[in-house]
Amino acid sequence: MSAAGLERPQVVVHAQQSLNYTVFDCKWVPRSARLLCLGSAPRGTGVLQLYELRGGRLLLLSEIEKAKPIKCATFGAASLQQRHLATGDFAGSLSIWNLEAPEIPVYSVKGHKEIINSIDGVGGLGIGEGAPEIVTGSRDGTVKVWDPRQKETPVANMEPAQGESKRDCWTVAFGNAYNQEERVVCAGYDNGDIKLFDLRTMSLRWETNIKNGVCSVEFDRKDVNMNKLVATSLEGKFHVFDMRTQHPTKGFASVSEKAHKSTIWQVRHLPQNRDVFMTSGGAGSLHLWKYEYPAQRSKKDSEGAEMGVAGSVSLLQNVTLSTQPISSLDWSPDKKGLCVCGAFDQTVRVLIVTKLNKV
Amino acid sequence: MGDESIMYSLDQGTTKTYQIPIGHLDYKFIEKCTDVQHLEKILRVLRSGEEGCYPDLTLFCEKRIEHLAPGSRVLRKDKPAATAADFTAEEWETINGELMSWVAEMNEDDNKPEFLKTGTLHEGQDNLPPIRCSSSCLPAFQNEKFQNKQRNKKNIPRDYSEWDKFDVEKECSKIDESSEENNSKARFVSRPPPPLIEKQVNTTGMTKKEKIFIATREKEKGNEAFASGDYVEAVTYYARSISILPTAAAYNNKAQAEIKLQDWDSALQDCEKVLDMEPSNVKEIVLPVRGEAALGKAEMGNAQRKFHSKGGGSKLEDRGTQKQKESTESGLKKGTEEKKSQKTDHEGEANGYLNSNQTSESPEAGQSSRSHGAGSLSAGAAHSTSLPPAAAKLKSEGNELFKSGQFGEAVPKYSEAIEYVISVGERSPDDLSILYSNRAACYLKGGNCSDCVQDCNRALELQPFSLKPLLRRAMAYESMERYRQAYVDYKTVLQIDSSIQAANDSVNRITKTLIDQDGSSWREKLPPIPVVPIAAQLNRWDGGNFTSEVKPKSPTDINKEEQLQMNREKGEEKFRTLKNEGNDFVKKGKYDEAVNKYSECLKLNTKDCTIYTNRALCYLKLHKYEEAKQDCDHVLQIEDCNIKAFYRRALAYKGLQIYQASVDDLKKVLLIDPNVLEAKKELEEITQLLSLGGVAVADCQQKQRKKITIQEVTDEQEEGQLETAEDVVADNLSSKEAVQKCVPSRTCEKLTISEPSNAYDFGQIVNAVNASKDQSACADLLTITDPKKLPVLLSNKLEGEIFLIFIQSLAHYILGKDPGLVYQHLFYLSKAERFKVVLALLSKNEKEQVQRLFDLLTENQNHQYSLEELDSLKKVYEL
Repeated sequence: MSAAGLERPQVVVHAQQSLNYTVFDCKWVPRSARLLCLGSAPRGTGVLQLYELRGGRLLLLSEIEKAKPIKCATFGAASLQQRHLATGDFAGSLSIWNLEAPEIPVYSVKGHKEIINSIDGVGGLGIGEGAPEIVTGSRDGTVKVWDPRQKETPVANMEPAQGESKRDCWTVAFGNAYNQEERVVCAGYDNGDIKLFDLRTMSLRWETNIKNGVCSVEFDRKDVNMNKLVATSLEGKFHVFDMRTQHPTKGFASVSEKAHKSTIWQVRHLPQNRDVFMTSGGAGSLHLWKYEYPAQRSKKDSEGAEMGVAGSVSLLQNVTLSTQPISSLDWSPDKKGLCVCGAFDQTVRVLIVTKLNKV
Repeated sequence: MGDESIMYSLDQGTTKTYQIPIGHLDYKFIEKCTDVQHLEKILRVLRSGEEGCYPDLTLFCEKRIEHLAPGSRVLRKDKPAATAADFTAEEWETINGELMSWVAEMNEDDNKPEFLKTGTLHEGQDNLPPIRCSSSCLPAFQNEKFQNKQRNKKNIPRDYSEWDKFDVEKECSKIDESSEENNSKARFVSRPPPPLIEKQVNTTGMTKKEKIFIATREKEKGNEAFASGDYVEAVTYYARSISILPTAAAYNNKAQAEIKLQDWDSALQDCEKVLDMEPSNVKEIVLPVRGEAALGKAEMGNAQRKFHSKGGGSKLEDRGTQKQKESTESGLKKGTEEKKSQKTDHEGEANGYLNSNQTSESPEAGQSSRSHGAGSLSAGAAHSTSLPPAAAKLKSEGNELFKSGQFGEAVPKYSEAIEYVISVGERSPDDLSILYSNRAACYLKGGNCSDCVQDCNRALELQPFSLKPLLRRAMAYESMERYRQAYVDYKTVLQIDSSIQAANDSVNRITKTLIDQDGSSWREKLPPIPVVPIAAQLNRWDGGNFTSEVKPKSPTDINKEEQLQMNREKGEEKFRTLKNEGNDFVKKGKYDEAVNKYSECLKLNTKDCTIYTNRALCYLKLHKYEEAKQDCDHVLQIEDCNIKAFYRRALAYKGLQIYQASVDDLKKVLLIDPNVLEAKKELEEITQLLSLGGVAVADCQQKQRKKITIQEVTDEQEEGQLETAEDVVADNLSSKEAVQKCVPSRTCEKLTISEPSNAYDFGQIVNAVNASKDQSACADLLTITDPKKLPVLLSNKLEGEIFLIFIQSLAHYILGKDPGLVYQHLFYLSKAERFKVVLALLSKNEKEQVQRLFDLLTENQNHQYSLEELDSLKKVYEL
């Protein structure tokens, strides 16, 4: 291997565990070396497993079975002390679980008519100012924001008007939560629509279409004045939007990159460095990227309006781990470079990405 | 390509995809082609195999593309995840070790109740913002956005509890916004307001761990903002991080961001904070930043403040540029060209400043000003009876400001205090004098030399021959290049107290300058030096009636930074000698004395890590593990990756039988430097000990242990076996650490019993022997070792040093007793692996030693070997 090759980050499979169910999502439990895998068992029930990383292996600590398959989960709205898990399931229910006593949810609401595809939380874990809130995106076309302190009804509801065709919402993400008031939700739909809802003004701030179904969106950080947004698409492209400067007509500047030969299922930013992110592809591949800022992040157009200037992305590393899609990806918030991914070959893998300090 | 390609296409046709002429699939073409896109097409064709399979050509094409466009997408290949084979052993170990220690740490944290304490659960929620007002509905699709505007609010009526949380203003603003929006019909609602990020973070109800976590996060946000060039945001986030948990790193980063924003004052302040918090990392990190800040500040016209450098030459230069700058600045407001030329000047100057004063001035600035402030404070306290309370308060405020380096702000405080005292009419000359003197110090710090002189004059009028105002005036004069007056003042100071090193040095310096300036008759041009009345000198010592500016009894307490500095220089010399003495004692094995010396050193300088680590070593030798641990802890607080401290603390932990901690420390050692063999060995042992379940050893004095298999010992004797083995190791270790120290004779005795059974044991003993250069022990080892086994035991570990000590011990110890054995050893030694290599690397001197051994063998020839055999062996040894 060349010297340059050694300097690049390397992806190492530290531990892997095959599962007897389809894993949809996996998450690190904050402030711990434990992780959660959740998905759908063959007999159509939901499974939630808690593993602990120990001596290069994953040790099953507990397993919980629920009536409906669980699609997605987040710790984002939980306090660092409680670490309650919020999940969305196939039946459209949002539930919050105390993992110490997982029999009954601490909060549960039948929020959507159909499957909850995506969930995100903010305001917990010391991430983001303001109230703890959870956003869910569903096949029924609605995006709803929930506050765990308010039962039954969402605190905000973004839905198509009556008579409009409902688009399947595939992904949601919080952002811009840099103070108590500001907060946005970004949602991606199956027709390639990306919508940015401003929760402070309760308005649609921006929308665009990237032509293909939006599989995953994520802000580089939820708790800063929104900086960058990455959206991945069905046909293997991803778009990085510079969210600092919004042009009145052109919106946000973006750069796109064709990365994988197949759908990019997920994008996740490194919690310790917002300019590094990983995408997971349909052919079992992982790509690690770095965003480079342009010399000037904004410029004036002919009419004097500020418009953003997109930077560039460079590939830091790519690996292929499986032949099946890697459907979920999560960086450890506590250990830089530690990451877990779940693939449709019913395997969950703990990865170490080295040399992220030198990126 | 042009004609050529047409020609090719005529000849051979084209590929099916991309229509590339077949002729382009050729080494020569690819080598010359610079069109990356074309090459990429060629590569795709080659890879697809539609024109046949040419692995070499494909590779060649890839290389060519890589050469032209390293980032090209076609070069991306599916790669499997990296495995151990892709890393060096150390890297792999580091990667895994790091993760393991993190996992261990996490699990440990988890088990602590602190983090999951249910008691604190809801504390944090009290300060949560209210639930978002009203369930609002937002149309997800643009086209029906406006028609749905009314729907936004109606969805679910508020229930009563919600009305409690109703935020009128927010609702109003919402209405305003929506009406505005409707008017403008803008597609996006409102321009985002400039980000209002709070500079403070509410940390109530947070555990320490959480604070660290969040502070780190905020700092990372700052770093990212810095990286993207948003320095204002970066400063905000660093400030947030600091508000949660002040760290030197955050201050340092903040300073750098402030420099980018040209906020020199804040940058300097932050640098000072870093220096306060972490005086040890001064040189590497802070000074460049501080220098830059000072430089920038200098440009802003405050040069004097930070340029009270004491390096004679650079100082003159310094002042030259200052003058120049003052004139230019008063004249014109920074013409750009002017500024540029100044900048270069200052650059050189700042560098000089940094280089010449790094050790003496900079790290001390914070300290000296602090101690000065403290001194003044105590003065205030002592005389609070005579000073009216209001003035006393003002004065202490001033002192505080001075302490924190805000000299400019301190001045008005002192001025108010002075006015107050004068207006009250209560003439207490002592206090007034101190106030003037303190204000003078501020002026001096701020570079306002003429005001400083004035204040000093007033102070001296009130309190003639008081030390501080005199010194300050002298310094001010010196800064103003009024050397004669400065000389006189310094001389006066020396009459009062001749032990003030700063004054002595300054006098010497000024003498030189004056001689240069006025020639040999310089003394004639001096104003008369006043004769200090004996009373003042006495006062200086009994202090009670005198202003408390001068602390009686301990001249070192005189809070003149000059003084401190010079004392420091003097102290440094003493410190060095003490340290050397300590080191000598260590070499001689007199650890008690060494500890005393080191402790004295530490009285002089509490910041020197090496002293602590050295003292820790002594404590280890003296089996005072607790003290050793404390010393190491201290070092690690100052310098968090001091490898020696980690290693010695590991040994201390081992002595204290806290093996887990010991293992942790050793791991850290190996993380820092994976090549520390001792640490590796220790780690192995202690891990073994841990796995043994910590077989308790009765004798607490002998805590260091190591497992060396001793064949003669049976199970019943296990206890004894461990102990004997420990002795060996304890001593081996000590011998390793202090090489010159002679090895206690015990070692040899103990070593004799352990006949090595395998290469590893043998290697261990040889290493120990080699480290201590103990030939007798080596001889014993060789005596009990069967020569035939030598090549096996040595395995591939034969090195020059080992070879040499073998030769020496054979010559000095074994030859007299058993020349046959010597021959046998030499014979089998030559069969060992790496023998040739070692032989080839021997120096001339070393060869002579071998030659001598052979000569001796020849002399002592007996029946065990013949001369012919010896000769042939000599040839093997290339003699």
